[in-house]
Amino acid sequence: MIGLIIRRFFQLVLLLIGISFIVFMSMYLAPGDPASVIGGPTASESDIAAIREDLGLNKPVLVQYFDYMKNVVQGNLGYSFQTNQSVSDAIFTRFPNTLNLAIASMVVAVILGVSAGIISAIKQNSWFDISSTTVALAGISIPNFWLGTMLILLFSVTLGWFPVGGLNAPFYTIEGMKQLILPAITLGTASAAMIARMSRSTMLEVIRADYIRTAKAKGVKQKTVIWVHALRNAMIPVITVIGMNFGALLGGTIITEQVFAINGVGRLMIDAIAARDFPMVQGTVLLVAALFVVVNLIVDIIYSVIDPRISYD
Amino acid sequence: MKKKMKVVLFALLTFAIVVVAGCSGGASSSNNGESEDVKQDITYAATSDVVGLSPIDTNDSVSTAMIGQIYETLFTRNPETMEIEPLLAESYETPDENTWEIKLKEDIKFQDGTDFNAEAVKYTFDQFKDPERAAPRASLLEPVESVEVKDEYTVVIKTKYPYGPLLAALSHQNASIVSPTADKEGDINSEPVGTGPFVFEEWVQGDRVTLKKNPDYWQGEPTLETVTMKVVPEYSTAVSMLETQEVDFIDGVPSEQLSRLESIDSVEIQKREGTPVYYLGFNMEKEPFNDLEFRKAVAYAVNTGEYVDQLKGLGIQNDSIIGPKVFGYKEEAKDAGYEYDPEKAKQLLKDNGYADQKITLLAANTGSYMKMAEIVQAQLSNVGLNVEIESMEWGTFLDTTAQGNFEMTFLGWTNSTADGSELLYPNLHSDNIGSSNRMRYNNPEFDKLVEESRTSVDQSVRLEKLNQANLVAIKDAVWIPMNHGVVSAAYDKSVKGLEMDPTGTWSLYNVSRE
Repeated sequence: MIGLIIRRFFQLVLLLIGISFIVFMSMYLAPGDPASVIGGPTASESDIAAIREDLGLNKPVLVQYFDYMKNVVQGNLGYSFQTNQSVSDAIFTRFPNTLNLAIASMVVAVILGVSAGIISAIKQNSWFDISSTTVALAGISIPNFWLGTMLILLFSVTLGWFPVGGLNAPFYTIEGMKQLILPAITLGTASAAMIARMSRSTMLEVIRADYIRTAKAKGVKQKTVIWVHALRNAMIPVITVIGMNFGALLGGTIITEQVFAINGVGRLMIDAIAARDFPMVQGTVLLVAALFVVVNLIVDIIYSVIDPRISYD
Repeated sequence: MKKKMKVVLFALLTFAIVVVAGCSGGASSSNNGESEDVKQDITYAATSDVVGLSPIDTNDSVSTAMIGQIYETLFTRNPETMEIEPLLAESYETPDENTWEIKLKEDIKFQDGTDFNAEAVKYTFDQFKDPERAAPRASLLEPVESVEVKDEYTVVIKTKYPYGPLLAALSHQNASIVSPTADKEGDINSEPVGTGPFVFEEWVQGDRVTLKKNPDYWQGEPTLETVTMKVVPEYSTAVSMLETQEVDFIDGVPSEQLSRLESIDSVEIQKREGTPVYYLGFNMEKEPFNDLEFRKAVAYAVNTGEYVDQLKGLGIQNDSIIGPKVFGYKEEAKDAGYEYDPEKAKQLLKDNGYADQKITLLAANTGSYMKMAEIVQAQLSNVGLNVEIESMEWGTFLDTTAQGNFEMTFLGWTNSTADGSELLYPNLHSDNIGSSNRMRYNNPEFDKLVEESRTSVDQSVRLEKLNQANLVAIKDAVWIPMNHGVVSAAYDKSVKGLEMDPTGTWSLYNVSRE
């Protein structure tokens, strides 16, 4: 296990170096000049030249990259082109919001997805199965943007149950939970649908397996068969999906953050891209990449807990 | 099996009920209801965060909106008369064409206690012009040669050449006076200090800016206790928040949200003829767009009235490039363009061999530009042109158009100084080809008129020169104005005294809640 973690750590470092290089180069090659975005359409040629000079954009791109990496190695992610604020400060003030949102969405997704999937599998071809597979298909297809807006109109504007936007109260308070519920449903629906489909199909496979038939033949109770013998074995692929989804949720909060006016990393990233704020784009992309790797590592560790046959040493 | 299912269903149902019940208790916390003493607070929703709070170091509309509450300028344009009046200045004289001697109001202090005086003015403008500081709007004071302190309350501004729009430039929000102490000792971008009615309290980046009243404000303290700017990137979310009273006020209403806003009982909408102009422009260095006959044909083919109708009162049709609220506009420019006549357009295209001409319309995928592009595409197709739309993200668009890599495109100009010279010079004078003169218009006759409008300090001469320059550009059909802006705000009915400025800004000094 320790070996796995150390190995993954080195992979992570290499991966981040690679990603930083690709992001740096793609920002540099993409059309759009940070200086002209900062200056806006009203800036004159000399205004823009002065801004470029100020940001150090006149240096050769490789020099810029090495300057940047030199700082990163020393733990300094640089300063925003736009606001001159420290990139790490900007990220860490917003990260808790994104993390709360992603975890809450995952909770929604797992509760809804796993239970719907298991019931569907046990009651294959029943009305519940048919309707839950239909809902799952819809859940995957509905765009977040539309779902979020509709939830706001129904639950916030018409019924007045939840606030429309913002996320600033701590998640463990009533106020904080109210702020989280609609965004979590919006973001979690697609994952819930995916998890439901996955759990249904693996569960179906498992309950047809020989050892389940043997267990039943031995007269083990249905409840015990499902919860003790089937579920644990059916969960391994489901956990993969959950892990992948969680990584994707952390990086995919952008639209939900936009719609619900949540001050998170996704919005920070999209604003930075629009403003060609290179250091901020770098910082946010590196964070999301690192999180993805860490989440995957955690999933691998959970595998070996669930299935003792899996060992990494 | 059945029992199991019941248990799971029951668990799910309980979860759902707990969630809903736990959350439906109590109304929205920011809803104050009709209580007797109304809290004198206001929350404004902006679609993006401020870039910073220093007038020297920023140049975007949200920052400008907040800067306008914290800082003040030497002069200001009266939103009713559009005349320039002294604000922090007391009076001014022009002993000669290149010298402006400005007397300042006395006994005004910055919010940090620093005295407002000639030193502060000199310090601010020197910083503004300093290439090291790289102020994004440094060009505003480009004609200024030097700023000198004559005595404690008199500054002398010398210009490189006679500069007519100087007072308009000094009334621009970016030319606000900053506290020298605060700027030297800290970062006024994150801890701003001005002389205005509201004092900075907090900026949570990406989320909100909070201001509180300045009890020592020199014109008397404002009624509002606190001002909060909340970042709400999605306009439809902001409208919902206005409806549920989570925010009190939004501005820049897009036409597609207008009917929804009008249907909300608690909301009042203010519209006012403003200074922005939005146009269809030609790349004057590419064929056939450099041919006047071709541009005339396009101008005849485009029915701007049809577009303005879709704006539902949030735009005004006028052929003039200089808008009716901008200095330099004369009534005769109103119909000086080429009136919609598709038959004439077809004839012109045929006579000049441009029938079936292929055109690419470039449009930024922000604001109303895509809508303009779609309407113009249909209208130009009607006269036989073969039109494609290319849409582009804003940052890419700015770069592409500055480099001249387009055929025809749409853009706007907010005219923050409400002075025609500040519209025609950056946008259409040949000095600015390669940057803000995106259409690459180069007409010596026009250039000369614009220069004369800038270098005269006689306002009646300036008006005449600007009018002439305007007529030349209209006849040249270099821009086809799609619409002149209507500035707008939607706010809760309890908000009283909010007045939109034609440039799209607003002051909260006279605002109160009832």
